[in-house]
Amino acid sequence: MPSMHLSQTRSWFLQSPPVEWAISQVRELLIGVLSQGPIPKHVAFVMDGNRRFARHHGIETIEGHSIGFEALVRILEVCYKTGVRVVTIYAFSIENFKRSKYEVDALMDMFKVKLAQLSQHSDLLQRYGARIRVLGQRELVKPDVLEAIDRAVELTKDNGDAILNICFSYTSQDEMTSAIRDTVVEYSKPLPSNLPRPFSQSHITHTIRSRHLPPPSSSQPSAALEQPPPRPLSPFLEDPTASSDTEDSLASTSASASASTTLHPSPAPSTTTSIDSPHPSSSDFRAPSVPSSKPFPTYLSSSAASPSSTTPTTYPDPESITAHTLTAHMHTAGMPPLDLLVRTSGVERLSDFMLWQCHERTEITFLKALWPEFDLWNFLPVLVEWQWRRRRREREIGGGEQREGKGE
Amino acid sequence: MSAWQTAQLYRQDANSGHTLLTKEKREELLKPYIPPAPKSNAKRRPNKRQPLRDFLRSQIHLLIYNIMHAAFSLYIRLRQTYHVVLDRSFAILYYHHRAPELIRQDVQGLNRLPEHLSVILELKSEERGQAGLEKLMDDVAEISTWCTCVGIPMLSVYEKTGILKAYIPTAHRIVTRKMHSYFGQRVPSVQIRAPHVPSFLNGDGSDEADVSTSSSGYLSILLISAEDGRSTLVDLTKTLTEMSQRGKLSPNDVSLDLIDTEITESIMGEPDLLVLFGPHIALQGYPPWQVRLTEIFHVPDNAGVGYQTFLRALHSYAKASMKFGR
Repeated sequence: MPSMHLSQTRSWFLQSPPVEWAISQVRELLIGVLSQGPIPKHVAFVMDGNRRFARHHGIETIEGHSIGFEALVRILEVCYKTGVRVVTIYAFSIENFKRSKYEVDALMDMFKVKLAQLSQHSDLLQRYGARIRVLGQRELVKPDVLEAIDRAVELTKDNGDAILNICFSYTSQDEMTSAIRDTVVEYSKPLPSNLPRPFSQSHITHTIRSRHLPPPSSSQPSAALEQPPPRPLSPFLEDPTASSDTEDSLASTSASASASTTLHPSPAPSTTTSIDSPHPSSSDFRAPSVPSSKPFPTYLSSSAASPSSTTPTTYPDPESITAHTLTAHMHTAGMPPLDLLVRTSGVERLSDFMLWQCHERTEITFLKALWPEFDLWNFLPVLVEWQWRRRRREREIGGGEQREGKGE
Repeated sequence: MSAWQTAQLYRQDANSGHTLLTKEKREELLKPYIPPAPKSNAKRRPNKRQPLRDFLRSQIHLLIYNIMHAAFSLYIRLRQTYHVVLDRSFAILYYHHRAPELIRQDVQGLNRLPEHLSVILELKSEERGQAGLEKLMDDVAEISTWCTCVGIPMLSVYEKTGILKAYIPTAHRIVTRKMHSYFGQRVPSVQIRAPHVPSFLNGDGSDEADVSTSSSGYLSILLISAEDGRSTLVDLTKTLTEMSQRGKLSPNDVSLDLIDTEITESIMGEPDLLVLFGPHIALQGYPPWQVRLTEIFHVPDNAGVGYQTFLRALHSYAKASMKFGR
């Protein structure tokens, strides 16, 4: 491995103005070229190899991290310019707190400074339209670092829709644990009781009967006053499917069931509690001339919820929890699924990073290069291969459909 | 000021704890590295007056993109050929000849072996049906035999669809037959099971089991599928939610250790080594909780299960130095 000193001659050549200009032109060109094809929406990096880089070049560990940060800025430029929406980086794991106190403190200081730089020179992220988000467990982080994090998040919050996720004090198992815990907490909140609903069942049955019976009843004056009511009411009574384009299929099927039960007068009064009193008179009820779909879910859910109303508190059904529920409780909620994960320095492990997110389609790439050496030139083959595979898969899907069409 | 000088200056500043330069100075230094600021409307208009130039530029980009991808297709063909040749030569150099002694010899120099090996197999979609399933069974049998030869006590086989779980007795028969062809009469005892399958077939109870089990080894095979991945965590969440709703558990009791214990007991622990036999690394819905520190091995452009791949995985595992916390 060449020492820092030896590589200076090379970098003197590479950084002479004409060569530098040429390189930057080529970079621009390549970035433009790459963005012609499909681009991963969400890319994650494990920035591994800073310490080894420092050791190989005979410099201090912390300086290795510092050069690693420069590599990060370079790669962020490539990502955001080609059109990547979300970049997630693994900055500091919970396990890293077990390193020597000296290194942890130095890393914390560096993180504070770098974060301040990223957000303070807000040009940097603003020009890519990226905002910072810090994912991880806040309890373990010292208050001064937390303050720096909050400031950075605050400063960049108005930037565009690209996101830079910094995983700090993060492990994926911890993320999954908190997602599960949050889901449990959310599902353990009792549902708001269904008493304060502005309609009463007995009243509705009463109205229906009054519609069907020719002899005038108490609601007759209002019906005479307003002609439209028969029309909004009839579609969901006589033809429940008529309103099904506004409601989902479940609602419309159970609507027919509940409609048939309410037509028999006997069960309706028994399920209804005496909430008739706070409600206004019949004319007030029909006066707003609500669209036909409006009274319908209310009336439907009150009859559906009536069996459970015997228990004092009702909870959301745990069976309705799905993988999507947990995904929505991860730190990366609402972001596009992870398309590409790159880990440098030849270590072939995920090391507790993005375990949940590395699911079906995520392509994982392990590279031999150390992170401070990582640049467009190492990243280009990875991206091109990703594009190549993505294009081939799209072609296969297209071709498969065609073949099926031919009846092969 | 050249970039080199800039970098020097910047590092000096960084070394002195960012006291040397003011914020403005640092911004000045960074300027050449960041893209031009989004121009105001006045400056953007000239750009709009050059639609031809933009069009040409995008055409050039598209042209180079196509050239690049054509070149890449060529490159990838070459790379695939290279890897196939490499794979074949490994296969010739290291063939097991169905001799456990040879296999043992191949791994003799290794300083460590995985306690729990995991593999991802794929049911080939073009040969779905009987042929694909037979191939899959045969792969399982081969891998488990190699594991017994090497001395790996635990093997978990991930197959996305979970079709293998329906054929546990058949799988056991095929594995035992394969072992006979390697070991002769003294077959090790094999146990095949799957999570949440109540009736698991235990090799100990089968007819050939009385042949000295202690000397010829023991292998436990676990068949897992996509439903043991994310859905297990979902199921655990459902159970925890129900308990919490009934007041048997406070949400604060949900800890990493609790989940880890439950997941480990109901599915499996963390494997030490995960071997992929596919052309690229994709986990295909492999249980997320368990791959935390698992060494992932794969041979680029590989297709199909081969002894040489298995051996290379073990060699690469022995070389890798395990460090916790990166």
